Amino acid sequence: MAEGGQVFGVHTVDEWHQHLQKGIDNKKLLVVDFTASWCGPCKFIAPFLAELAKKIPTVTFLKVDVDELKSVATDWAVEAMPTFMFIKEGKIVDKVVGAKKDELQQTIAKHISSTSSA
Amino acid sequence: MAVSGFEGFEKRLELHFSGDDPIIRMGGLRQLDFESIEEILNAVQCTVVSAVGNQYFDSYVLSESSLFVYSTKIIIKTCGTTQLLKSILPLIQFTSELGFMMSECRYTRGNFIFPKSQPYPHTNFNDEIFYLQQQLPIHLCYRKASVMPSKFISHSWHVFTACNEESNNDLFTVEVCMTELDRVLARKFFKHPNMASNEMTEVTGISDINPNALICDFVFDPCGYSMNGIDGDRYSTIHVTPEDGFSYASYECVGSIYDDPNDIINILKKVVQVFRPGTMSISTTSTTNEVWTRIAKAVEPLGMKCRSCTMDDFPSTGSVVFQTFTSCRK
Repeated sequence: MAEGGQVFGVHTVDEWHQHLQKGIDNKKLLVVDFTASWCGPCKFIAPFLAELAKKIPTVTFLKVDVDELKSVATDWAVEAMPTFMFIKEGKIVDKVVGAKKDELQQTIAKHISSTSSA
Repeated sequence: MAVSGFEGFEKRLELHFSGDDPIIRMGGLRQLDFESIEEILNAVQCTVVSAVGNQYFDSYVLSESSLFVYSTKIIIKTCGTTQLLKSILPLIQFTSELGFMMSECRYTRGNFIFPKSQPYPHTNFNDEIFYLQQQLPIHLCYRKASVMPSKFISHSWHVFTACNEESNNDLFTVEVCMTELDRVLARKFFKHPNMASNEMTEVTGISDINPNALICDFVFDPCGYSMNGIDGDRYSTIHVTPEDGFSYASYECVGSIYDDPNDIINILKKVVQVFRPGTMSISTTSTTNEVWTRIAKAVEPLGMKCRSCTMDDFPSTGSVVFQTFTSCRK
């Protein structure tokens, strides 16, 4: 299963549920990148996300292709790409729609600090 | 007027392409890899600062304005001293590698505030036309260039179109250029410490212009603002240079001639209220007269008086109607 340091591709619904469950168990922040192979903005942000994953091993970074896991994308109401969902203990705590480097970084920082202070 | 400052007035290039159906179904021009897009933008001298896409198109906010990529259409709008027309050659190269051929080109711009600062080929309209004529493929044989005047030296509309066949298009484009913004409203486009971009979108009223649109925004330091709105297959875009002396804002959107005509009226009313410009020009590109005839009705109740109206026809593109308005407070 996902260890820190990289962005993990989730390819089946089972895997998705396992990641969510693991996030509940270890109380780590999950950052999920909903992406599509045909989406240019997703390609723009991908290297930046990989850098963040390397820098912040305390956060689990996942990547979900909306065409591959259609049901997950529909359940989570993903309409624009990339959409970043921030999940803590199975619940969505924040969302960043679009490839916005500063906002992505700030939102991660916000939720890491709220974890450590809890 | 300041001796020199940031050039707000954008140059805008819209290119249409044709290709085989299977390629288009697989995303068409959206298959351009990001390295190619970076190379194209590099030629223009700008970069991507934020981006978002949906099932219909990709939108990019640039360090100087915006880029939209549809399956068969690309729109690039850049301000400052960018060299927009230098994107044509790499665009032709990358799109032909995907199996696409250019079928239409539209180039538009207003009057630069600081024309002497513009680098070649944007030194003057003749140079731009000459450059376009050389760069465009010869099969785009129906070509026309026109400068549409107004009563003001500060506002005139430059249009160049080229196409290979007459086509019917139900989309219209509205391009709004605004100068002498209300000073109090313009101050709202200066960045405060730790200000999130969506905060500026909210407090300025931009988020109310089309509440259905998803907005991808960017706030520049120390001032300036850009956003792209995506609403289904429709884009809208706003760029603001708020500095006193050369304040400028632009609004652009597309619509269908089959839309509820009140939609564009309501949008333009809100745009005027966000910026309260001293002078504004509105250029409407459409194949019908339904759109431009409503524009005066939209903005005149808000104290904007129509000062000029010029019309010209372009092959395939349709009619371009250029209207200017000034605030009664002037």
